[in-house]
Amino acid sequence: MNDNALIKVQDLKKHYGDVYALDGINIEINKGDVVFVVGPSGSGKSTFLRCLNRLEEPTSGSIYFEGTDITDKKSDINVHRQKMGMVFQQFNLFPHMTVMKNLILGPTKLQKVPKEQAIKEATALLERVGLADRANAYPNQLSGGQKQRIAIVRALCMKPDVMLFDEPTSALDPEMVNEVLEVMRELAKENMTMVVVTHEIAFAREIANRVIFMADGKIEEEAEVNEFFEKPKSERLKAFLDKVL
Amino acid sequence: MDFLTKVYEFFISIVTNFSDAFYLNFIKDNRWKYLVNGLGVTLRVTLFAVLIGVAIGFVVAIIRSTHDKTGKLKILNFLANVYLTVIRGTPVVVQLLIIYFIIFGSVRIDKVFVAVIAFGINSGAYVAEIVRSGIMSIDPGQMEAGRSLGFNYIQTMFYIIVPQAFKNVLPALGNEFIVLLKETSVAGYIALEDLTKGGDIIRSQTYSAFFPLLTVALIYLAIVMFLSFLLKKLERRLRNNER
Repeated sequence: MNDNALIKVQDLKKHYGDVYALDGINIEINKGDVVFVVGPSGSGKSTFLRCLNRLEEPTSGSIYFEGTDITDKKSDINVHRQKMGMVFQQFNLFPHMTVMKNLILGPTKLQKVPKEQAIKEATALLERVGLADRANAYPNQLSGGQKQRIAIVRALCMKPDVMLFDEPTSALDPEMVNEVLEVMRELAKENMTMVVVTHEIAFAREIANRVIFMADGKIEEEAEVNEFFEKPKSERLKAFLDKVL
Repeated sequence: MDFLTKVYEFFISIVTNFSDAFYLNFIKDNRWKYLVNGLGVTLRVTLFAVLIGVAIGFVVAIIRSTHDKTGKLKILNFLANVYLTVIRGTPVVVQLLIIYFIIFGSVRIDKVFVAVIAFGINSGAYVAEIVRSGIMSIDPGQMEAGRSLGFNYIQTMFYIIVPQAFKNVLPALGNEFIVLLKETSVAGYIALEDLTKGGDIIRSQTYSAFFPLLTVALIYLAIVMFLSFLLKKLERRLRNNER
């Protein structure tokens, strides 16, 4: 096994009854990788991402995260999830808490970070995404783009080793997409390991170093970013790229 | 002139009757104490029954909604269902009598305590269904977000789901408490001297029903209106947070 592999997925399968949402996924994700997962709707890319932190329970197969098989019932998934930040399409901020409380809930309750320190760290991150002035606002007072930036910061406050993005811009008005992509761009620059499920193909080209094309629950093609776009091998990927580019 | 005199006499007679009746029902032999003591009992029973009801209700609601969402806790869910079916399927008076004469039948025990237990267990069943509907109404994304941070199921329930559910069901919960306050009026069945029983004792001593019973009704009404007012204020404050 590659020493650099942060996540290693072996023969991952997920069935819903007779339907194979995932049909034997094998992939290694290394530290610092920015992996984009693209593909047509229903290809299983969201299911794959959600299996990585077991929000979706795999039917079979193994997922090693930092050397531990997290599909093993004996491993404590809650501990590993603290190291895997997740950003959702629908933001899923906690509406009954202020922005700041959203941010420090995890660090203070799960990692026993003292409150003052958690606030300090959260404020620093808020400043970086340009939302320091909204610390005391409630989520419903924010725009979609602001909510998603806060959601990213909430995941970052846990100091994760990998960030999982599940279509982070799909629920946003077009004029707000860029402010979220900007934050992701920054993260990629800082060598954060990222796995991103998205329809923003142009954006994949810009910040990904590897791209995975999924179809029918399988990885149809996986390549380094330039090769992926310049020299696609499979016919399905060629057809897909023709349609979306 | 004759007519005016009659009106005057009629008026005087009403006032005299009123003050006589008032004296008879409330002042004489310190009868007002039946109402004051009874009110104290009613409020004590309601308050502690509410606490027990909320405690039972939340636990049962969490068991039931966990089962609905994940399929786990089969045995606990079964027990919870039995509890809900029995409590909601039988009259509260019957439950009160059973608890007093059967369950605590062989021991001498404080009647207030029995009433608190009976009404608390009864109320718990209704609170449970109210809270469960609140929990089920929360977007599943909230649970996922909590779990994705590393909170376990119970922690996510505690920090994220239940606070939002509570806010959503507050009007229904408040209504349940008001219903409970009025329901305790059957505590007289085990000879507990609550507000209703107090009024009824006065009636049986003075043979006049009008004053004691209407006063009892007015006291209930006043408390209910006050509680409704408090609830509205609380609700408004919780809502303001989100705007």
